[in-house]
Amino acid sequence: MSYLEDDLKQALRRTDPSEDFTERVLARLNGAPVSEPSWWERIRILIEPPRVQWVALSLMASILIPAVSFHYHEQQRMQAQGEKAKEQLLFAVRIAGNKLHRVQQKVLETSRTDTL
Amino acid sequence: MKILRITVLCMAAGAAGYGQGLDLKNLDRLSEKASDTTEVTLDGALLKLAAKFLSADDPDQAKIKKLVAELKGIYVRVFEFDHEGVYGESDVTAIRKQVQSQGWSRIIGIRSKKDTENAEIYLKEGRDGGLAIICANPKELTVVNIVGKISLDELSDLGGNLGVPKIDVEKQKSFTNKKEDD
Repeated sequence: MSYLEDDLKQALRRTDPSEDFTERVLARLNGAPVSEPSWWERIRILIEPPRVQWVALSLMASILIPAVSFHYHEQQRMQAQGEKAKEQLLFAVRIAGNKLHRVQQKVLETSRTDTL
Repeated sequence: MKILRITVLCMAAGAAGYGQGLDLKNLDRLSEKASDTTEVTLDGALLKLAAKFLSADDPDQAKIKKLVAELKGIYVRVFEFDHEGVYGESDVTAIRKQVQSQGWSRIIGIRSKKDTENAEIYLKEGRDGGLAIICANPKELTVVNIVGKISLDELSDLGGNLGVPKIDVEKQKSFTNKKEDD
């Protein structure tokens, strides 16, 4: 056997890995830097359709907000109309009352005159 | 010319309301000649809406609320004029004819020669009845029509509210008859 052959055998002989080899490999894998998304990936995210929940939420909001707003304004309108009608009613009763009062006074005056 | 015009028109409006109350349309033309016009038209849903806004805590308003519950409409027309003779007897006669033909009872009627003021109060019992007041003097004409079930007791309840006096209707009736006999 030549010296060369012995040297090769010596150099390529089987050796066991160190005890912490597995830990070091795993540590390298976990700590690997996250690759930045490419410009293409960024565009894809932008044009990606929104999630269903957000669509449903937007739809509900677009229905509910005008409905609540309309209801609020309708309530306000009814309130104003009711207050106005109430004032009219009190005013009308006041006029009727005043006229009745005047008629009653006239009747009493005439009654007194007749008695005398 | 100062014109006070208070008009509240019911959305359901017109025919139905007027059909039950007196037709006061013939008085509309007087508003052009009057210096002051007061017009209140409360009927149907609007009257009920007004009643809802009356406070139950206020004793006066509570009484009116109870009274209004039985009513179908309240119509008031007041015309004030700067001069005498702007409106004619025919304007009043048109209203008077209506009440006479529709079975109303005149409970009070005053014709004062001293201050030329005429006042008449008509009452109609029942659901389609009500109260009608016609007060006419040379410079002012007032017509009030309250439509609906308004009994004499309710009329008495109205007494004391917002200046409405209590009236002994039976006493006034006999008094009116006596006056008419004279």
